[in-house]
Amino acid sequence: MTGRKQDLIPPEGVPVSFQISSGGSRLGAQMLDIIITFGGVFALFVALIWMGLLSWAFMGTLFLLLIFLVRIPYYIFSELIWNGRTIGKKITHTRVVSADGGRLTPHQITARNLMKEVEVFMPLTTLLSGSFDSGWTGTFLTLWMLIVLAVPLINKRRQRLGDMIAGTLVVDQPKAILMPDLATKLMVDRVEFTFEPQHLDIYGRYELQTLEEILRAPPKTPEAVTRMSKVTQTIHRKIGYTDRILPEDHWHFLTDFYRQQREFLESKQLFGDARENKHHDMNKPKP
Amino acid sequence: MSSPTTNTQNTLRSSRFRAEREVGWKELDSLITRAESQGMSSLRYEEAAALASLYRQAMNSLSVARSISMDKALLAYLEALCARAYLVVYAPQESIRGAVTRLFTTGIPRAVRRSTVPLLVGFLALIMGAIIGYILFSQDPEWFYSFVPSGLSDGRVPGASQEYLRGTLFDDGDRDHSDLGVFATFLFSHNTRIAIFIFALGVFAALPSFVLTFYNGLMLGAFWGMFAQAGLGYEVFGWLSIHGVTELSAIAVACAGGAQLGLAVLLPGNNTRREALRRAGPDAVKLMILAGLMLITAAIIEGFFRQLVQSTELRLFIGWGIGALWLAWLLLAGREMDHADRGQS
Repeated sequence: MTGRKQDLIPPEGVPVSFQISSGGSRLGAQMLDIIITFGGVFALFVALIWMGLLSWAFMGTLFLLLIFLVRIPYYIFSELIWNGRTIGKKITHTRVVSADGGRLTPHQITARNLMKEVEVFMPLTTLLSGSFDSGWTGTFLTLWMLIVLAVPLINKRRQRLGDMIAGTLVVDQPKAILMPDLATKLMVDRVEFTFEPQHLDIYGRYELQTLEEILRAPPKTPEAVTRMSKVTQTIHRKIGYTDRILPEDHWHFLTDFYRQQREFLESKQLFGDARENKHHDMNKPKP
Repeated sequence: MSSPTTNTQNTLRSSRFRAEREVGWKELDSLITRAESQGMSSLRYEEAAALASLYRQAMNSLSVARSISMDKALLAYLEALCARAYLVVYAPQESIRGAVTRLFTTGIPRAVRRSTVPLLVGFLALIMGAIIGYILFSQDPEWFYSFVPSGLSDGRVPGASQEYLRGTLFDDGDRDHSDLGVFATFLFSHNTRIAIFIFALGVFAALPSFVLTFYNGLMLGAFWGMFAQAGLGYEVFGWLSIHGVTELSAIAVACAGGAQLGLAVLLPGNNTRREALRRAGPDAVKLMILAGLMLITAAIIEGFFRQLVQSTELRLFIGWGIGALWLAWLLLAGREMDHADRGQS
């Protein structure tokens, strides 16, 4: 269940879309954070006891203080300092953003993390202490915890209760890779295939972008070449192109077709005739 | 329409569009990458200024590309680039110190003055609990066992001798003073967890917060009633006052924070519940931070001073004096700017 997008509208007014983090990476980040913080405190104390420099009273104070600090304050401060990321979130490449498109404010961070006490730590400690056995109360507690845990799974934007109160979302850190422009990269000096408007009238944006994906990975194995040829033959048949094409010209046919189809569709779109896919003229009788 | 190109001149409008702007995107990309890994402070002044204008250009490119380009990879790139740039440009700009200062001088006091109703709910829950706990106890001392868990009462039960009870109020003897720090820290982390719990439960229609606070009140009432029966009412009042004024107020404040959220769920008014929750959030969180602060103070008082200060009069004075200080801060701080705000709006 990935691929949920959420548009945020920054003050510039151009919607920017973010990928809502999957439940798995949310859980992973939370578990990593718990392991890192509690594991860190534990390791520190093993080291302190081994060195034996400090008095027991001081160590007791330190221990209680640290155990308190790694529960809620750790999340608040790390998200404040790293702009919505804890160590676990950094590892899973997720981050907190403000759902209203503004900047993340300190109170949003505090609010969403205070709710962690009921949403994460209370169910966790109850589970670990195993105090479920007391009949009616146990059943009620389990039920209630299941509901709290189900909230981020059932709502559309995967918000926890804390996220709802704070107005925040957890999204995947966007990665930007600039691919070369196919229309320029694949351009050759001479054009071998020329398509007439009736040839280009068949497909729409969806088919063009599918072809783009095919062209971004030139076929290397014989099977891939066969698949590519099959695509070529299908397009050839579908658009009613009459000239024969030789098997070694298949790639050129596709690149030429891509560029001319793109030019055709883009200029159509500019004049208000946006064609989403090949069903764009369903209501018109086919020629 | 499909006129063949005989030279390398690029005829595609969207390709030309890309070729003209690509340099700017790449520059923005490298600036963001640096800001992401080393922080905004690693950028020089000119670079930071360039970042802002490149960001706006990229946003503009994205909006144009959406309408003219069919190049999926380009759109995906621009989307991601703009998203990353947005996160860098709209990062929180406040330093932690600035945020904390503002919280103390204006944020918390104003939030408290704005939340009269939830605070009333919180304090009412506690006071009603205490009164009912006392009344029930005076009718039938057996109630004590239902209210106060045995771990907490520690031998202080109805029918215990007056000497023993007095001893629990005024012992400093065997407790080593170096242990007081541990005790204070324990109290603080334990109480804060309870307060956060009370607060966070408020979102479930305020009722759980109310019930928990009420229950705290019941315990208090029964406890006081038990000491009063043994003729130690005044002494226990001092014993509870020195830290209790702050600590119990903190519980009530945390309950008020929870009630703030609960009221938003119960009575969202013209907003959706989600929107109402979002609006109630800031004040509720500030109340919770206040409760945390009060609990730290209370733990220090309880851990150190209650053991060190043995006279009831002094205990009363310290407890209520600190209470008055809290009240003065919350009622008086950030006033003048209140008026300035009102003048503007």
